[in-house]
Amino acid sequence: MGIRLDGVSVSYGGTTVLDSLDLTVEPGEFTALLGPSGSGKTTALRTVAGFVRPDSGRVHLGGRDVTDLPPYDRGVGMVVQSYALFPHMRVERNVAFGLRAQGVPRNEVASRVTEALEMTGMGSYARRYPRELSGGQQQRVAISRALAIRPKVLLLDEPLSALDARLRAEMTDELARLHRELPDLTVLHVTHDQGEALTLADRVAVLDRARLREYDTPRALYDRPRTAFTAGFVGSANLLPARLEGDRVRVCGLELPVSPEDLPAGTADGAGLQVCLRPHRIVLGPAEHTLRGTVTDLSWRGSVHHLTVDVDGRSVTVELAGHRTPPGPGGAVELGFDRDDAVLIPVGEEP
Amino acid sequence: MLVHDRLTRRAIQALFALLFLPLFALPLGVIVAASFSTGWSGALPSGPTLDNYAVAFGPQTLEALRVSVVTALVASVCALVIGTWAALSAASMGPKGRRIMDALFMLPVAVPTVVVGLALLVAFSRPPVLLNGTHTIVFLAHTVLVTAFAYQSVSAALTRLDPVYGQVAASLGARPARTLFLVRLPLLLPSLGAATGLCFALSMGELSATMMLYPPDWTPLPVRIFAATDRGALFTGSAFAVVLMATTLLVMFALSLVRTRAGHR
Amino acid sequence: MSALAPPRTASTAATGSPSEPAPVRSGITVPAWVWAIPPVVLLALAVLYPLGSVISESFTGPDGGFSTRPYVDVLSSTRFRTALTTTVLIAVGSTVGCLVLGLVLALIIAFVPFPGSGSAGRFIDTYLSFPSFLITLALLFVYGTVGMANGMWTDLTGADSGPFTFLSTPWGVILAEVTFFTPFVLRPLLAAFAQIDTAQLEAASSLGARPARVVRSVILPEALPALVAGGALVLVLCLNEFAIVLFTGAKDVVTLPMLVYSSAILEADYTTACVVATINATLSIGLYLLYRSLTSRLGAPTDGGRRARP
Repeated sequence: MGIRLDGVSVSYGGTTVLDSLDLTVEPGEFTALLGPSGSGKTTALRTVAGFVRPDSGRVHLGGRDVTDLPPYDRGVGMVVQSYALFPHMRVERNVAFGLRAQGVPRNEVASRVTEALEMTGMGSYARRYPRELSGGQQQRVAISRALAIRPKVLLLDEPLSALDARLRAEMTDELARLHRELPDLTVLHVTHDQGEALTLADRVAVLDRARLREYDTPRALYDRPRTAFTAGFVGSANLLPARLEGDRVRVCGLELPVSPEDLPAGTADGAGLQVCLRPHRIVLGPAEHTLRGTVTDLSWRGSVHHLTVDVDGRSVTVELAGHRTPPGPGGAVELGFDRDDAVLIPVGEEP
Repeated sequence: MLVHDRLTRRAIQALFALLFLPLFALPLGVIVAASFSTGWSGALPSGPTLDNYAVAFGPQTLEALRVSVVTALVASVCALVIGTWAALSAASMGPKGRRIMDALFMLPVAVPTVVVGLALLVAFSRPPVLLNGTHTIVFLAHTVLVTAFAYQSVSAALTRLDPVYGQVAASLGARPARTLFLVRLPLLLPSLGAATGLCFALSMGELSATMMLYPPDWTPLPVRIFAATDRGALFTGSAFAVVLMATTLLVMFALSLVRTRAGHR
Repeated sequence: MSALAPPRTASTAATGSPSEPAPVRSGITVPAWVWAIPPVVLLALAVLYPLGSVISESFTGPDGGFSTRPYVDVLSSTRFRTALTTTVLIAVGSTVGCLVLGLVLALIIAFVPFPGSGSAGRFIDTYLSFPSFLITLALLFVYGTVGMANGMWTDLTGADSGPFTFLSTPWGVILAEVTFFTPFVLRPLLAAFAQIDTAQLEAASSLGARPARVVRSVILPEALPALVAGGALVLVLCLNEFAIVLFTGAKDVVTLPMLVYSSAILEADYTTACVVATINATLSIGLYLLYRSLTSRLGAPTDGGRRARP
């Protein structure tokens, strides 16, 4: 069952928290809503769940307009950051809650509960109370509870952000496995963690300040960001001011050849642009294109070195892996990159 | 810690003891001590006796205790039902509706208790509804007075209750009634227990409105205590008061057991 | 972000544009206010109708028709005027006493803790579940004509009677009210003090501020809303207090609630009782509304009253 949001707008007391959002999630697809806090991503999820009624626009589930349908008639499973397990019920009753609410025959409930708990490896905890479980275990139960009703759509509202780094990695793998094992389940996952979004999602919707900025596969967002916001929010980026001059782009004294399809739509000749260079795509020494500069700072981050280089008064960050003796501050360096690693981005925020 | 100087700290603690003991600890101790005495014209009470309790456990006082307990039970159960209902419906309204509900249900706190008693007396001594001289008017007065506190307790608990529980229940397909009875009310149970205890205690000690409208055959214990002290039987009155306090504490303690059990699950 | 989103279930106010297919609806959703009708109707019958009866009775002349005569009579009587003055003086005096005592006790419990200070706070809390008249009863044994204090005095000096006779004066009522109502100031204050970051106090101390200065410049501004709210609430409760006054048995301490009681029950003069009741209630409701608006404006907890412990 797919999800379709058509021009959904939400505002509270004059503040627009979601501005005319159009978003389509195909059946069986895992989509991440990625953005900083206040970007509207949770509100978007809540319009799908039915807890927030849009001021305008429609919400469709599986081709059906559910905008006026209360949450309990939408048949979507939901997992929230605080787990929200019912503290007065044992694990099995928590998982059975949705089944009973939907009138599943009594003799079927027990086997469905077991099945849902097995799915997350929590089968042996059925008789426990939530307070007797660790955070990670509680989140597994919460996922089982949401999956027990066999929803066509699963909503995940920052489900991993209350867990510590190790558990988060473990649960990320778990979610990836569930997505593989349940190919028909459409998942909408709200997160502010780009790693989670890139690892799990088939497509990532990047939201910022109530608007959808970009919606694409993780690979495309990372390799070919179309806005400065995405470039900076998904991975880190050096953004260098540039100018279009005929069929070339001039940046920091270099000239890069461009073909029309590289350019953001509607870029006029002579217009300003930005060149996005990922820090780990830059190498020391000459390459297809070479910038010259002076090292201003060097820091060691375990597996990599971070080098800050002054190029024509612009500071450029370079990530060096496997360098035993990187150049120290004050040293002159050459920074090389391939034409393919330089992505052209418009100056403004809009795509 | 604000005061590091040892001497100053001692002085401040002495000040606390000086204020606290005579004002708060003394009165309760005095009543208990007096209840076992026949006279008090020196530093300590004199004439140790159990006679006061013989009166306190006599048929007349026991009947008054029964009247008080029955009234308090009826009033707190009614108050809990009405207060919870009102608080739940107020919570589902917008801010404007909630303000109106708050103002309406907190009104009996603002109005002097004696005036509440007078109002019920005046209103129900004339047609269409005649309740003057019945037990019902006492139940009614106590219910009116404690409903405000039940409403306030439950409202406060509702604002503390994370709405996410109800939302998750709804996403699992539970209709509002199922969510209310299986999720929200059980989560509120500790607060409901506390509210019941509070209502019970307030009703047990209610005197002001009761004085305005109790019928002779339905005399609660506080009225008996007043009658005893008014005719000068202070020591007997103290024994009544001890019985009143003990009963109140006992019921509140029992309710707090229910509360901790509910809270621990 | 989620904090911004109040739970709102789908309402019936659909704004579907005509080009859209008819949206799916489930059953009939009832607006929230419909559920409020039963308790509000009960409240109207049990509170609003009786209060209305009091007001209408207070405007009833001797002939049974509408008249402002009862008000003229009551307002011009010395008995009423004295009662009004006594009530206001006792209420204001008790409130000031409660504020001072509550502030001192709260400061000590919160910032100069010692073993047992926490349970002292809880002990004061249990006062809220006891009836107010017990305080007066206890004070009768301590300061009454045959009580502890006077007994000790006569034993020591051989005099016929002791010097403590204030119990049947307004001072006795004030002492009892201060004792009973101080917890209503203490609780919101302790709640406010619990909000103060101890790091803030330590920072102030490390900058060389003396304790008195810390109290004045850091603690008191934080406590002000709670203090104002607690004071307003206690003022209302003192204006309304009846049982404490009744138990002192003093004939010359007549407050407004006392006047209502004696007019109605002892003299069976319901019209006068209703006039006094209307005035007393108007005064209290006005102050109570002020208290509510103060608490909502100052952001103080509105649970300064007899609220259940969480």
